[in-house]
Amino acid sequence: MPPESSDLLQGTLEMLVLKALSLTPMHGWGIGHRIDQLSGDAFQVQQGSLYPALQRMLRKGWITSEWRITENNRRARYYLLTRAGRRQLEAETAAWARASAAVNGILRVRTADGTP
Amino acid sequence: MSLLTDAMERLKGLFFRDRRDQELAEELRDHIERETQERIRRGERPEAARRAALLAFGGVEQYKEAVRDARGIRPLEELGADLRYALRGLRRNPGFTATAVLVLGLGLGATTAVFSVMYSVVLADIPYPEPDRLVLVSEKNSPTNAWNISTADATAIRAQQKSFEAWGELSRQEAALSGTGAPERIVIGRVSAGFFKALGVPVARGRWIEPRDEAAEAPPVVVVTHELAERTLGGPDQALGRSLTLDGISHQVVGVLPPGRTELGGFRAAAWPVLKLPVPVRRGPFWLRGVARLKPGVTIEAAARDLASVSARILPLWSDFPDSLAKLTPMPLRGRIVGRAEKQVGLFAGAVLLVLLLAITNVATLALVRASSREAELGVRVMLGAGKNRIARLLVTENILLTLAAGAVGLLLASLALKLAVSQLPNLQRIENARMDWRAAGFGISAALLAGILVSLSPLAALSGRGAGVQTDARRAGTGRRTNTLRSILVGAEFALALPLLVGAGLLLNSFVRLSRVDPGFDPNGLVAVTVALPQGRYPKPEQQLRFWQQAEQRLAEMPGVVAAGLASDVPPDNSGNYDNFNLVDHPVPAGRSEPASPWYYVSAGYFKTIGIPILDGRIFTVADSSNGPPTVVVSRSWADKYFPKERAVGRQLIQGGCYDCPRTTIVGVVGDIKNLGLAVPAEAVYGPVAQSGARSLNLVVRAAGGTAAALRDLREQVRALDSELPVQESIISALFDDSLADPRRWTMLLGAFAGAGTALAALGIFGLMSYVVRQRRREIGVRLALGAQPGTMTRFIVAKGMRYALIGSGIGLVVTLALVRRMATMLFGVSPTDMLTIAAVATLLLTVAVLACWLPGRRAARIRPLEAISTE
Repeated sequence: MPPESSDLLQGTLEMLVLKALSLTPMHGWGIGHRIDQLSGDAFQVQQGSLYPALQRMLRKGWITSEWRITENNRRARYYLLTRAGRRQLEAETAAWARASAAVNGILRVRTADGTP
Repeated sequence: MSLLTDAMERLKGLFFRDRRDQELAEELRDHIERETQERIRRGERPEAARRAALLAFGGVEQYKEAVRDARGIRPLEELGADLRYALRGLRRNPGFTATAVLVLGLGLGATTAVFSVMYSVVLADIPYPEPDRLVLVSEKNSPTNAWNISTADATAIRAQQKSFEAWGELSRQEAALSGTGAPERIVIGRVSAGFFKALGVPVARGRWIEPRDEAAEAPPVVVVTHELAERTLGGPDQALGRSLTLDGISHQVVGVLPPGRTELGGFRAAAWPVLKLPVPVRRGPFWLRGVARLKPGVTIEAAARDLASVSARILPLWSDFPDSLAKLTPMPLRGRIVGRAEKQVGLFAGAVLLVLLLAITNVATLALVRASSREAELGVRVMLGAGKNRIARLLVTENILLTLAAGAVGLLLASLALKLAVSQLPNLQRIENARMDWRAAGFGISAALLAGILVSLSPLAALSGRGAGVQTDARRAGTGRRTNTLRSILVGAEFALALPLLVGAGLLLNSFVRLSRVDPGFDPNGLVAVTVALPQGRYPKPEQQLRFWQQAEQRLAEMPGVVAAGLASDVPPDNSGNYDNFNLVDHPVPAGRSEPASPWYYVSAGYFKTIGIPILDGRIFTVADSSNGPPTVVVSRSWADKYFPKERAVGRQLIQGGCYDCPRTTIVGVVGDIKNLGLAVPAEAVYGPVAQSGARSLNLVVRAAGGTAAALRDLREQVRALDSELPVQESIISALFDDSLADPRRWTMLLGAFAGAGTALAALGIFGLMSYVVRQRRREIGVRLALGAQPGTMTRFIVAKGMRYALIGSGIGLVVTLALVRRMATMLFGVSPTDMLTIAAVATLLLTVAVLACWLPGRRAARIRPLEAISTE
């Protein structure tokens, strides 16, 4: 069994997946690829952990899936954002903004002699 | 919403598992294909690209598992696997499975059936709204002595009580029902309007008796049961407004009870006519039952204080009843309905629980053997990576599956037993309600689950005692010291459980034998009686009644085939228990204390000859003991011994029934003892002459030379010749005595069956253990035999080893027995609950059975062929 990713990472991965899917429905490989791209390869999505995450999100009702025929005539499983998923994305984006602003604020505090 | 999605996804994951897995495989294949293409596009060689793609993904199978975990169905899948595995295991071992299911099924079935009886007899609410507020009011002058209330009591309570929302009186009687077909005698409950109001039971048709019906000049009314309306009044719809003739007096039917309501407040009666309270002229007689509903929030203790002050106020008003200790006392009505049954049913619930525990212990030892014989298999599982928890879960699943199967068998047996056997059970109020319902089923299933957990405990304990080390050596299987200790503890426990059962059964049997050997003091064979009640309407004057009785006695005595005939207010074994109080003129009770009371009968002179009661001193009644003559009584020898231990009783005088203004009553004779009140009750009795009783209801008793059936027919004809409208109720005295033994016999047989089952289980347990020991030590025994040990020594060795467990277990059982058995005291006759002879006898029986059960495997040990034993392993 692969080690569980920490809550933060798991939550972050789910947020990134939601973001990727908010642009267009995609298959699993596409989602991973898109996140790599969007992050300028700063995140290397563990490809294996992507699918359990997708499974969890299906259960939470944030995304649905359907099998479609791709451009080169192959079957592939596409994931789509649901309305609940879109709300979740908005909520998480807002929460993330608040949290990162707060963390940034803390990191910007300097001691009296000016060292970080 | 999301909860629903979650559940749906999990369910889909469970039911479409194969399709899901296929889809997942396809999806992952697709992923790796795309990654490979991407890498080729970037310029890698196809082979290298594919390998890199696989590497980047990691272990495909691992991630498949992770995805399955994310579907959230793993615990369910494992349970499914455990169940399948358990089923396979149980099927592979049909001997074990069948034995365990049958043993536990019998235990669970018996327990469930007894629970159902206990529920309907003891636990179920009495069928009235807010039953906890209902009380029965009695006179009580000591914790054990309570009796009915009087007209004076009832009148005072009506006027003065502050605790009751409703108050009513009841007098239960027999009455002659006529004018609606053949005359018959029915049980009636004369009640006041408050009685119905207190109970709060609705009528199906018409109305209740109301306060206006109690007025002296109001026309008599009656409420009838649905059943009586069906039988005699042309159905409940036609019954209203018709009239019912009770004891010659016409009552108008104003209400019909709902179907099935054959009792009210625990009193069974077919009709409920109005009770019109007379104006009290003295404190007694005590002939009424008081039923009341407490006001909301008023406790029974507060009501007791309220009624005690009523008692104190009326004590000085009546000189005929100077007992200052007697208090009007409220008691929960529930107690009257559930009453004595609680203790008896409780005892049997305890007994059946012991049987169930025995069955569980037995199956636990079986499961333990099974678990230890599977040690090799379980060891392999541990080696392959199964966690201890996983193995524990497997064992528990298996045992629960087993006990649930046993539970199903048990429910089936219980419902069969309840259908077939309720009529064979002792006669308890409400026992006819016992049936297999959701409550009993729920109880049975819960008991089965609990049994499953208990059965699992021993293999689990054995499991936890072992290290993670793998044991694959089949020869050493089960030699773990811990397993053997557990098994011997379990076998010891079986004996500790079986002994109390056997002692209980032994005591009941002893008591029953003593009871059935009691000499009733006369020969009941050939004695028959009919009860006749003369209706007030047609026999208004005491002289008319007396003339009827005298004519009847004479006609009967002249009947062919009749040895003797007599009259009596009650016949043995009487259970109506007509008591009267008295005060001896020579030895009066101290002031303020209650007078002694004794069973009181009214009989004719011919009665003594008919029954065969010997005259020991003085005389019996003559024509001089008439209604105008001085009051006389004849007493039994026990009575004379009790009240005049050192003096002659004949010629002494007493004041009867607290009537100090009446002429004194003289004792004119002493007669032999007979068991008037039943075999278990002392024989003291006072007999008064029929001529002085004013009785309207008597028994015509005849000793016939021929058959009882012919005698009864002649009796009926003679009564009809005198008055064709009189209903008669027939009894055969010897049959009455047999009936009085029926319940003790049933209790004895029930507990005997439980004890037999318990002994068999204990024997089975120790037989199993010792057979196992012999198998386990086969090689050792073989070596010893080869070295010249006598076969008999081997048998003795095994028996001695087994008997150690049986003896220790029985010793503990003896302590348990002595702690439990005192509760039986009230069910026993002539034998103490700690009767050493009984205990010694059943202990010997149990140990003898144990020796036999150990001897069988012991003999097998002696027959082991040394060479075979050593070489085959």
